[in-house]
Amino acid sequence: MGLGKGCRRWLLVLLLVMTAAPHASAPPVDPEAVPSVLFSRQLLKAAHLAVGDLVLLAADPAGARAARFRIAGVYEPTPDPLKFNVERLEARLHLPDLIQLTATPSDPQSAEWVTAVNVRLANPADAERFASDLARQSVGLAARATARTREGDPFTVLERFHVAIAAVTMVGSTAFLLALMVIRAEERRDILGMLRLIGISRRSIVLEIIVEGVIVAIVGALFGVLLAAGAQYGINRFFQARYDTTLVFVRVTASIVVRCLVIALPIGIVTGAAAAWTLLRRVPASLMRR
Amino acid sequence: MTGFALARRTVARYKARTTLAVAGVAIIAALNFDMLLLSRGLLLSFANMIDSAGFDVRVTGSAGLPALRVPVAGAAKLADDIRHMPEVDGVAIVRFEQAFASAPDGRERGISLFGTSEGSTRGGWTIIRGHTIDAGDASDPAGIPPLVISRQLASDFGVEPGSVFRLRAGVAGERSVLPFLSYRVVGIADFSFDTVGGYTVATTLEGFRALEEDRLSDDADVVLVASKPDAGPDAAVAAIARLRPDLHVYSNQEVVEQFNRNGFAYFRQISLVLSTTTALFTVLLVATLLTVSVNQRLGEIAALRAIGISRQRVAAMLLWESALLVGLGGAIALPLGGALAVGLDRILRGMPGLPEQLHFFVFEPRAVVLHAAVLAATGVVAALYPVRLAVTLPIAATLRRELGS
Repeated sequence: MGLGKGCRRWLLVLLLVMTAAPHASAPPVDPEAVPSVLFSRQLLKAAHLAVGDLVLLAADPAGARAARFRIAGVYEPTPDPLKFNVERLEARLHLPDLIQLTATPSDPQSAEWVTAVNVRLANPADAERFASDLARQSVGLAARATARTREGDPFTVLERFHVAIAAVTMVGSTAFLLALMVIRAEERRDILGMLRLIGISRRSIVLEIIVEGVIVAIVGALFGVLLAAGAQYGINRFFQARYDTTLVFVRVTASIVVRCLVIALPIGIVTGAAAAWTLLRRVPASLMRR
Repeated sequence: MTGFALARRTVARYKARTTLAVAGVAIIAALNFDMLLLSRGLLLSFANMIDSAGFDVRVTGSAGLPALRVPVAGAAKLADDIRHMPEVDGVAIVRFEQAFASAPDGRERGISLFGTSEGSTRGGWTIIRGHTIDAGDASDPAGIPPLVISRQLASDFGVEPGSVFRLRAGVAGERSVLPFLSYRVVGIADFSFDTVGGYTVATTLEGFRALEEDRLSDDADVVLVASKPDAGPDAAVAAIARLRPDLHVYSNQEVVEQFNRNGFAYFRQISLVLSTTTALFTVLLVATLLTVSVNQRLGEIAALRAIGISRQRVAAMLLWESALLVGLGGAIALPLGGALAVGLDRILRGMPGLPEQLHFFVFEPRAVVLHAAVLAATGVVAALYPVRLAVTLPIAATLRRELGS
């Protein structure tokens, strides 16, 4: 739950970073007396800094009212799909330090303002009701649930897009599998004709071709899953290096594997049945080219 | 008999498998064609959208997203200085803000409000009814500022040119007690940057400042510049950058290049991955079908070779078979891909905050040429292994085996 114009302990800020180069005339600084700051791994690397360095931070592009900080540590920013192509040049300051750095001296009220208050509810399901109660009681305060609704979420749209592409691919694959099964069945028309003539029932032959279709479809799906599992490593490594992020771009989950197999099963049955029908609708003698 | 004639007879003889193979190729090739449309679609659409506003240079206070940019201070003098440059044809100061409109049901609805100094000739909208705003518009006797509203807003609010429309300034997500001001609707328009399901209105700078209570009255969010055709946007960019080195000046082409590097990266990459995958998929499947088909016809091919049909002609027959499968499938893929692109575009345009005129799949002749080239390569590569099987076939041994079986 996030509240506008509240407060939170840590804030992400983008600030002018200047290395605090030691001047010969400057008095020595006790690093322990300087407030600490955390730098993102990307910022530390881009600014060629190290943990323990002293830096000057300012909210003003010209460097006015800069304050000295000691880099106490480095952190990996939480991966955010909405920021995957954004350079994560970020620093985390203690709230009082940030307020001191950004407040306007001529406006005492500016030190009383913060961007947001994060609230964890005892019952997360009450988020909407809590937000509406709070908004009614406090004019000028906006409260909203941090959980994104399905509607209006760009990732829900992307998911729909990927599902649509997967569906089209499945239709194409089905046509190919059907063509393959028809060729395979025709290849064995003499044998099938012979089997029919010696008394093997049509039902048994259909069952055999359907089982063959199911095996081809399931083995194909398993091979596809293995291929995707192998590709996920390569794709993740490539995009993580490309965008300097720990975000996972592709993940083959158990549910995806199950879905693949569940879809493969009816496709195998349908293609097998269709291939069997193309042959067994004819009389046995015609299968033997008689 | 030529290789093509032999291939045509084979394709006609095995109708069911040919139909299924062509259907499979058509579906996968349609997806491949769509990925080619997607690879540049958003970029072309975006370029078309920003060009349609009639300005080819943008001046901003800082780089980055519009909402996070530093405003351009002293906009009136800057616009005046730019207007007198020999490279420049026209200048517009633009302000934008989130505001609220009073709906007929009494509720407040969020809208995107634009204030511009240039409403008569250019403005990024096309008037459907009424007329456009004009900075010097003094036609309203009561002195009410003019307003052009989007078609969707006019329809949902039941507003026509001549109606009075009430707006108040506001920040999205926050409550406010600011009063509503009255505006006169002078026109209804299609806005280039209107978002899907969103409401957009435009007024003069004076109308915008009235709502803002003269706060930051000489600032601009962006200054739009139209260069003279004989000078071009690059010359205008260089001249403005010399005049105000503290500002960020971009030609439309540079904006599109930035978009290509950042905002468009995901779709460019996904289209590359999917078009490569679908092309490989087609190669694999056509090669499999042809190989199985050749294996089934080993006796037939050996007989053709035995009666004097040359290796080259057998190879040509299989190449033509592959070309017919891929060619027929590829031809069907064009209309099929077009229809599929409409559906996929509709899905992607469901993303929140997208301008209504922005499309992900945009047709261009280059995509058809690439599609044909990919399919031609696919047909040749898919035929390689079956051709090798057929031309290295031992004639006598194959005939003996086939006849014996």
